[in-house]
Amino acid sequence: MRILVVEDDEVAAEYVRKGLMEEGHVVDLAGDGELGLEMAKAADYDALILDRMLPKRDGLSLLQDLRKDGDTTPVLILSALGEVDQKVEGLRAGGDDYLAKPYSFAELLARVEAIGRRSDPTAAVTKLKAGELEMDLLARTVSRAGQNILLQPREFRLLECLMRHGGKVVTRTMLLEKVWDYHFDPQTNVIDVHISRLRAKIDKEFDTPLLHTVRGAGYRLQV
Amino acid sequence: MRENGLMFAPIKRLFKNTVLRLSMVAAGLFAASSLVVLGYIYNATVTSELSRIDRDMNAELMELTEVYQRSGLDELNKVVFERMSREGTTTFYIYDNNGQLSFNLNAQPLFESEVTKPCWQKIPGRNTIGVRKFVYTVVDPLNPDAHPSTFRARGIFKQISPTVKLFIARDVERIMAPGERVTRALLISFFLALSLGLVSGIYVSSSFTKRIGAFNKLATDVRARDLKRRAPRNESGDELDVLAEHLNAMLDHIDTLMVAMRYAGDSIAHDLRSPLTRLQARLEAVGGEVKDPAARDALARASEDAGELLRTFESVLRIARLETGERRELLIPLDPQLVLEDIAELYEPSCEDAGLEFSLEIEGKHKIRGDRGLLSQAVSNLVENAIKYTPSGGAITVRLRRVRNGRSEISITDTGPGIPPGDRGRVKERFVRLEASRTEPGSGLGLALVDAVAEMHRAQFELGDGPGGAGSPMPGLRASLTFPRFKR
Repeated sequence: MRILVVEDDEVAAEYVRKGLMEEGHVVDLAGDGELGLEMAKAADYDALILDRMLPKRDGLSLLQDLRKDGDTTPVLILSALGEVDQKVEGLRAGGDDYLAKPYSFAELLARVEAIGRRSDPTAAVTKLKAGELEMDLLARTVSRAGQNILLQPREFRLLECLMRHGGKVVTRTMLLEKVWDYHFDPQTNVIDVHISRLRAKIDKEFDTPLLHTVRGAGYRLQV
Repeated sequence: MRENGLMFAPIKRLFKNTVLRLSMVAAGLFAASSLVVLGYIYNATVTSELSRIDRDMNAELMELTEVYQRSGLDELNKVVFERMSREGTTTFYIYDNNGQLSFNLNAQPLFESEVTKPCWQKIPGRNTIGVRKFVYTVVDPLNPDAHPSTFRARGIFKQISPTVKLFIARDVERIMAPGERVTRALLISFFLALSLGLVSGIYVSSSFTKRIGAFNKLATDVRARDLKRRAPRNESGDELDVLAEHLNAMLDHIDTLMVAMRYAGDSIAHDLRSPLTRLQARLEAVGGEVKDPAARDALARASEDAGELLRTFESVLRIARLETGERRELLIPLDPQLVLEDIAELYEPSCEDAGLEFSLEIEGKHKIRGDRGLLSQAVSNLVENAIKYTPSGGAITVRLRRVRNGRSEISITDTGPGIPPGDRGRVKERFVRLEASRTEPGSGLGLALVDAVAEMHRAQFELGDGPGGAGSPMPGLRASLTFPRFKR
C-alpha cells in the first residue's frame, strides 16, 4: 500500500515509516497540516495516518477539507486525546479508525492494514470464506470442511471479525472494540479466553490450525 | 422508639435551624426581662404595701397590748370599739378572754355591705404567732341570695396575757386586686410575646432556610463536580445576595482554573505520550534485530514495562478527565441490565477457567442515566478484581436489584479475602494498594477509576463484607454502585 503519514513528531514518524516499509508498504511523510493536505491532494494514497494535533493546520480540519473534496482515502487518526467522545468526534469528521497515543506499532499496523484493505466496505457480502472454513452471514451458520460448527452469538461475531480481516493481524483491542464495543483495555487476558473457546470449536478436531496467535500483536486467521 | 424518633424528626430539624434558634433566644430574653419587670411591679404595688400593713398591724397590736396592760380589759374594749367606729376602717378586731369571744365584727359596717359573722374557729392558724392570710365573705344586704363576694385579708394574732388573745386583721383585697390585674396583664403579654416571637421566628427562619438551602444545594452539586452550577440571586443586594454574588464569582474562577488545568493536562498528555510512544517503538524495533535470546527477552520485557507505564498514564488521565465532571452531560438513559449482561458474557469464560462459579442475578426492570462505556469499565474493573483475588472454588455474583427509594443497585460479590473495613475508604484513592495485593500485578488505579465513574454518575460506591460475613477468614467482598433514581 502507499501510505501517507502526517505527523509532526519526526522520530515517531520515522519509526512508523521504517516499520511500515519493513511490512512492504510505500510511505511518505508530512511534518505539518498544510503540507499533509497538499500531499494528500496531489497523490493517490491507499491510506492516511493522521495526527490530530499538528502545526499550521490541525488533523480534523485537514480531514474535513479532504472529505469536502470527495476524497475517500481511508484515514487512521492518531491522537494523544484518547477519550471515547474524542474518538467519536474524529470518526464523525470522516476518519475510518482512531488510535490513541501511546500505541504499539503492531496495533497501528493492524489498523492501517484493516482500513486500507477496505476496498468495498459496505458491499453486500453474505458469505465469508477462509480455506475450508465457511461462514454464512444470512443463515448465521459456520462450517468447516462441510461439517457444521455451532457457535454462540458472540463467538460468531468474533470469528466474523477475524474472517473479515482474513490473513491479517487483528489486535485484542480491535476485537474488544469491534466485537464488544468496549473502548478500554481490560487488565486480564479476557480476550484470550474467548479466542481459546473459539479455537476449540473451529480447530480442535482438524489437522491444520486456522486461528493463529501472533506474539505481541494479536490473532490472525490464516489458511 | 423508632416511631417516636420519626415523629419528632421534623421538630428536631426545626430546632437545628440557626435563625429559629436565634429568634427563640430573643423571645426568651424578652420574656425573661418582662418577668423581671413583672416582679418589680408586683413588688412595688403589692409586696411593699403588704409589709407596710403588717408593720401597721404590729404597731397597733403593741399599742393595744400596752392599753390592756396599763388599764385593763375594759379600757381595751373601749379603745377598740372607738377605733371600729371610725369611718372607713378596714381593720377587724377580735379578742378572746378565756375562750369567751368578747368582741366581733358583726355589728360593724366595715364596708358598704355587711360582713358575715367571722368565726373565730375559722381563722386559719389562730393561736399561732405571726402573719396569717385568710379570706372572708361579704353578703350584699340588698341582694342576700346572691353569691357572697370573697375578699382577702391578713391578720396577726397575739396572746397579750395568759387569759386574753387578740387578733387584728385587715382587708387587703383593695391592695392585692390592682396589683394582680397588672400582673395578669403582664403575664398575658409575656405569653403573647413568646408565641408571637416563636411564630415570626418560624416564618423568618423558613424563608431564610430556603435561601440557605439553595446555597447548600449548590455546594453539594459543586462537590459532586458539577462546576456549571451557580447560586440563585434575587438582585436585592442584601447580605445573602452579596454572598451569592461572591460565591458565583468564586465558582467562575474555579471553573476557569479547571479548564486551564485540563488544557495543561491535555498538553502534558500530548507531550509525554509522544516520547513514550517513541520509546516503545524503539524498543520494539531493536528487539526485532537482536539475535541474542537473553537480550531479546530483556528488550521485550522493557517494551512491556513501557506499555504498562503508558497504560497507567492513560488511566490517570482518564480518571482526571472524569473528575472534571464535564462528561456528565453525555449521560443518557440506559438499561443497566444490558450493560451487565454484556459484561457477564465477557467474563463468564474467564471465571470458569479460574474455577469460579459466576452468576448474574437481575431483579426487576431498571433504568438509569449513564454512559455504557464507563459503566462497563467500572463493572469490568470490579469483576476483574474479584477474579484476581478469589481463590479457585469460590463464587462471583453480579446482581442488579432495586433498593430503597426506588434506586438501582449493581453489586459484585465474591468469596475472596475481602478488604478490612479500615482500608475500604483508602483503596478508592489513586495508587493505593494494600500489602496483601502488592505482589499481584496492577497499578492501584482500578478502584479509583470505579470511584470516579461512580462520582460522575452521582452513584454511591460502597465496599462491604461479602457472603462470608465480617470476622470469618474469607469474608468476601461486596462492591456496590447505587444509582440515583431515574428522572425524566
